[in-house]
Amino acid sequence: MELSYQEKVTLIKLRELKKVSFDKLVKETGLDQVAVMRAILWLQSKRLAKLHEKQKRIVKITELGEKYAKIGLPERRALELLVEKGKVTLEDLREVLSEDELRPIIGILRKEGWATVRKEDGVLTLELTEKGKDALTKERPIDIALKVLAEKREVEVKEIENLLPLKELKTRKIGEEDAKAEREVEITDEGLKIASEGLELKEEVSILTPELIKSGGWRNVEFKRFNIHAPVKRLYPGKKQPYRTFLDKIRRKLIEMGFIEMTVESLIETQFWNFDALFQPQNHPARDWTDTYQLKYPKYGSLPDETLVERIKASHEHGWITGSKGWGYKWDPRTAMLLMPRAHATALSARQLGKGVQIPGKYFAIQRVFRPDVLDRTHLIEFNQVDGFVVGETLTFKHLLGILKRFAVEIAGAKKVKFLPDYYPFTEPSVQMSAYHEELGWVEFGGAGVFREEMTKALGIDVPAIAWGIGIDRLAMFKLGIDDIRYLFSYDLKWLREAKLVW
Amino acid sequence: MPKFDVAKHDLERLVGKEFTVEEWEDLFLYAKCELDDIWEHEGKIYFKADAKDTNRPDLWSAEGIARQVRWALGMVRGLPRYDIEESDVIVYVDEKLKDIRPFGVYAVVEDLELDEEALKQIIQLQEKVALTLGRKRKEVAIGTFDFDKLRPPFYYKAVEPKKIEFVPLNCEREMSAEEILEEHEKGKEYGHLIKGRPYYPLLVDSEGNVLSMPPVINSETHGKVTEETKSIFIDITGWHLETIMLALNVIVTALAERGGKIRSVRVIYKDFELKTPDLTPKEFEVDLNYIKRLAGVELTDKDIKDLLERMMYEVDFVDRRAKLKYPAFRNDIMHPRDVLEDVLIAYGYNNIEPEEPELAVQGKGDDFVDFENAIRDLMVGFGLQEVMTFNLTNREAQFDKMNIPEKDIVEIENPISQKWSALRRWLLPSLMEFLGRNTHEEYPQRIFEVGKVTLIDESRETKTISESKLGVAIAHPKVTFTEAKEILDSVLRHLGAEYAIREIEHGSFISGRAGEIIVEGKKVGIIGEIHPQVLENWGVEMPVAAFEIFLRPFYKEGVF
Repeated sequence: MELSYQEKVTLIKLRELKKVSFDKLVKETGLDQVAVMRAILWLQSKRLAKLHEKQKRIVKITELGEKYAKIGLPERRALELLVEKGKVTLEDLREVLSEDELRPIIGILRKEGWATVRKEDGVLTLELTEKGKDALTKERPIDIALKVLAEKREVEVKEIENLLPLKELKTRKIGEEDAKAEREVEITDEGLKIASEGLELKEEVSILTPELIKSGGWRNVEFKRFNIHAPVKRLYPGKKQPYRTFLDKIRRKLIEMGFIEMTVESLIETQFWNFDALFQPQNHPARDWTDTYQLKYPKYGSLPDETLVERIKASHEHGWITGSKGWGYKWDPRTAMLLMPRAHATALSARQLGKGVQIPGKYFAIQRVFRPDVLDRTHLIEFNQVDGFVVGETLTFKHLLGILKRFAVEIAGAKKVKFLPDYYPFTEPSVQMSAYHEELGWVEFGGAGVFREEMTKALGIDVPAIAWGIGIDRLAMFKLGIDDIRYLFSYDLKWLREAKLVW
Repeated sequence: MPKFDVAKHDLERLVGKEFTVEEWEDLFLYAKCELDDIWEHEGKIYFKADAKDTNRPDLWSAEGIARQVRWALGMVRGLPRYDIEESDVIVYVDEKLKDIRPFGVYAVVEDLELDEEALKQIIQLQEKVALTLGRKRKEVAIGTFDFDKLRPPFYYKAVEPKKIEFVPLNCEREMSAEEILEEHEKGKEYGHLIKGRPYYPLLVDSEGNVLSMPPVINSETHGKVTEETKSIFIDITGWHLETIMLALNVIVTALAERGGKIRSVRVIYKDFELKTPDLTPKEFEVDLNYIKRLAGVELTDKDIKDLLERMMYEVDFVDRRAKLKYPAFRNDIMHPRDVLEDVLIAYGYNNIEPEEPELAVQGKGDDFVDFENAIRDLMVGFGLQEVMTFNLTNREAQFDKMNIPEKDIVEIENPISQKWSALRRWLLPSLMEFLGRNTHEEYPQRIFEVGKVTLIDESRETKTISESKLGVAIAHPKVTFTEAKEILDSVLRHLGAEYAIREIEHGSFISGRAGEIIVEGKKVGIIGEIHPQVLENWGVEMPVAAFEIFLRPFYKEGVF
């Protein structure tokens, strides 16, 4: 039979003692109470020992009793003063007694025969008797009872009743009666048999130390049983920001889908790349002071090489050789040089097209952009845009729809999509896509269009280029379980610590 | 972008046919509108239309949507025809308006029967056109008047402000021009468009009654349009004839959709004369193969003709080209692409089977972004929590609160809030702000960010560069310089860099516990124990040790 270290120790002791009180058994085994009780219960379940419980009456010391044990019963304190002075008034007794103790003291002293009482000049006066003189060195039953109680805290009723009626302790409020379960443990025949056959006793350890492993000592020890249900400390691991993890996943997906990542050296952009290269006329409402940030410092950037600038200018003014009529206004290079925090990631597409691209080619950027807005539950002042383009000789409008649909399926897990006509200054035709998400319903998930030829031709690209952008914020909020968009850039450490894993 | 309200019953009486709400949702697409919202009011159904195209004012009203739907469904084909009869109305334009608001164009529409909903649409259309096409009335301001109450001819005059006095719309008393600009709601909103000029534009009738002070406000007493109005006089002013003529065409044809008869007006300038409106169709030409090549669906010439006729074009084939006429209420056709889009919208985007292009290309992530991600993984390994904070900040956060003197910083001219008026030039203020906002949260707090800082660099196209940096901050009761240095030391060993720390005095850090991080003789970062003054400035009651380093100096092209 498999027995734990504690069970073995307990059984060995029981073999010696046969039947013993629980308290004594604890003392004998040298283990702690909980361990012994656990061992007994296990032994009982294995039918090796029996636990008997019966109630017994006890007297417990009260708080007052404890106090008297320290400073003496009131009558003894009064006696000491009497012995010292021979004669005292009630007023004198206030020195050693409290108000509560004062009232019954005359009765007690008289009953004990330690003092006589009379009135002198209208004042109650107590005078020490002979018996009183001797009493100082004699212990009464109540004095003995108090001493025993103070020492043992609790005593069996019958032990007190050998000294004095229990009632007296109760009226003096130095002891109170209580009931207590008395536990006795008895070894069974089966237990005796096993114990007699000899038990191999191993030391119990709570921690498996390297020494125990190296020395092989682990073979001779028992491991203390742990309470595996006990609560543990809350840990906060180092983690990536959940929105970052979300963005990383989108980045990985796009790379898997064959897209090349575009990056840029500054968050600041010239209006040239933000607007002009995208064929947005200089009087376009989106370029209004209220809708576009401008920099105070530095104010102006520089323009790219002259050929490109000339083409963009011509494209805006009269359409250049792009087959377009152009916007029909005078293009101002100074306006194009104004600097701004980049307002959309499409500026990166324009830069890339201007630098030259693989044809066919697929490109993307995850870019931090800025809009003049108020920061609240539904608006950010800076956010990440996922944007890019696909360029190829044979691309058509149905490919544009195909690219968008693939995003909806791959990234949003959408089963259905629908397309709406849309408008961007730099694409024609333009499409908005709504994707059906199981939990969110129809979500505006992205937009696309074929870059206008006024733009692509000027940037030196002669084949169709399909621009696309995907709106990831609602999806991110869903994945992160938030309804306040500011939590994408959370300043709330508690939330970050508790945020569920995203992958 | 423009959003406007339309009533379902109004749309249906204009189309002459009833539809379900779901059908309307699809029909809206022909008019480049999204059905944004639906509600009911007094038993009638209303829609919020979100017009996608900022260059198609003809589609920003119930009349415009209904017209496009009639054509798209083939109830009518080709160019919309509007008859114009000449009226004997003349408007004289004052030459002195040349530098103030030079042009005005006019029309009369008769035989109208307006109810509440029709009146609402007219007003709404005027507002949307003046707001979006008109750039908040700068380019286009529109006035409509009850023609039967007016005494032509009219004079569009330049008048000295102090000589102007009339009862402006929604007021009960005469006001001077100055009072209108100072006190009237519209005066405050649009007064800046004329304020400070020696003359203000004024439209008056033959008896000298003021009809309007464009582009600010109309008269309350002369010619206000009501449900009883049968004939409307339209006045549109602005800076470019082409733009205001377009606006006029949009308005008069919308009224004609409600049964109105258009009458032209003679507009007499000093050197020339106009007859407005001019609804002569515009012309364009496209190569049919171009359309077919980009559409991605099989289209015959006949298909293209049919689709374009349903988008209100008149189509004639000459060789392989289509000669097109399109309505005078549009001016957005610049390129064959614009025609292509109309073909596709008429075809229906959702009737086209999406097809993913098969391109032999291979994806690739930017190597430096991979490097940044590797740094993030390493920092997470130290048990640090990543944070993402904003690049937008302000001078106070970057300098004053960090206890250092001001330096050059990229600043925004027109911030929405002073709080977001500059781009950060170092990361630690962002991390300090983060710690300051989490003082109630359990310590230790160990955070990092891999983020951008933006610095001035005159040699670059944008005069700036945004560099990638790693910032680390650790806050708990026993933190010291040493803990920050342990992490720094480990990071730099993982990057294979030998480094030295040069002791410096720096306002953000405790003296004797701050240093510059030097790699190959160059400063790459800063490390130290945050100065208690700085902690106090951010409301952090816990010691903080921190560092930040540039990442670019440690980047080597990946080996793969």
